[in-house]
Amino acid sequence: MRPEDVLRAINEARGDALVVPTMTAVPEWRTIAPDAPSVACIGFMGGASSLGLGLALAQPERRVIVLDGDGSLLMQLGSLATVAGAAPANYTHVLFANGVYQTSGSQAIPGAGAVDFAGMAEAAGYAFTTRIDTLEELRIRLPELLSVKGPVLVELAVQEAELTPMTAPGGDPLRVQVERLRGRLADGD
Amino acid sequence: MSENERIPAALIVEALKAAFRGQRKAPPVDGEPLGWVLSVPDTHQRSVIAELEGDADLRLLTCSTEDEANAIAAGLYIGGAEVALMIQHAGLYASVNTMRGVGLDGGVPLFALVGLLSREPELEPAESPRSMVRFAGPLMDTFEVPHALLETRNDLGLIPEYYALSRERSGPAVVFVGRETG
Repeated sequence: MRPEDVLRAINEARGDALVVPTMTAVPEWRTIAPDAPSVACIGFMGGASSLGLGLALAQPERRVIVLDGDGSLLMQLGSLATVAGAAPANYTHVLFANGVYQTSGSQAIPGAGAVDFAGMAEAAGYAFTTRIDTLEELRIRLPELLSVKGPVLVELAVQEAELTPMTAPGGDPLRVQVERLRGRLADGD
Repeated sequence: MSENERIPAALIVEALKAAFRGQRKAPPVDGEPLGWVLSVPDTHQRSVIAELEGDADLRLLTCSTEDEANAIAAGLYIGGAEVALMIQHAGLYASVNTMRGVGLDGGVPLFALVGLLSREPELEPAESPRSMVRFAGPLMDTFEVPHALLETRNDLGLIPEYYALSRERSGPAVVFVGRETG
């Protein structure tokens, strides 16, 4: 799967969900969904799953979608247990598994091609986990993945992205993103 | 109170509640907690953690790492919740990049109670022979994070004061817990 196609499919299906992209998902998501209620995780490595958890706990009526990477998740792998323990029903963890640290030069992640992230999430206690290998299946299953009782983890077998935060820097500083989303939520958006 | 008397955990919990109430625009509704406490268990504050486990107003979430606690706090803050961290000094060292990214670059108010395990009561932290104790304050100074030392019940006002300070500064503020709580 091309990650750009995955992001377009998620944008079409997301409804009013809050979105937390990280690393290679960030520049493309900025283009595809500039007005989505999003806050990016850049600069605090592996923090997307936890940032999304906080949002999900504070906004239990809203679905939260975390657009995570396999390398990023490995940096905070314990967050699988923390998310499962907190058990947010409104949490969908989308894992882009490309097997590399693409942003830093596409070095292979530890255990590339062998680590079963969906299996680890299931073992940690996520309520629903699955692995999807084709865009067609993802399109069909997205409504379920964004509505079933969470926490959900869906592992996606994806190619490398066209853009990374290194090749396509920009976007609003985190401080601006934080206050904008906080303000939107306070206003009932 | 003698200099060596431990601060009762219940008083620290009440100080946290006062800190949260001082910032909320409205009381909690529909089962919403007054605020969240994110903990990576700390020996100095274990009696407070035990007290929180049975508290009806506050929600305690145990995290796997202090990095997670900082990022979860950011999400809770964005979502409109009140939140404090309870960690130990080793965790402060371990998570300083996330605190920097979330609290300094992201402008997220991060309030943390940080236990100074093994701190010698007769010494100022800066005079401790233990590096973990001695460098905690200077580490926060390096990152321009305001910090204070909680030692007796007379210091409990530091909790709402520094919680409010984190909000005013839109960044981290730390209260070191210099003695084991009771």
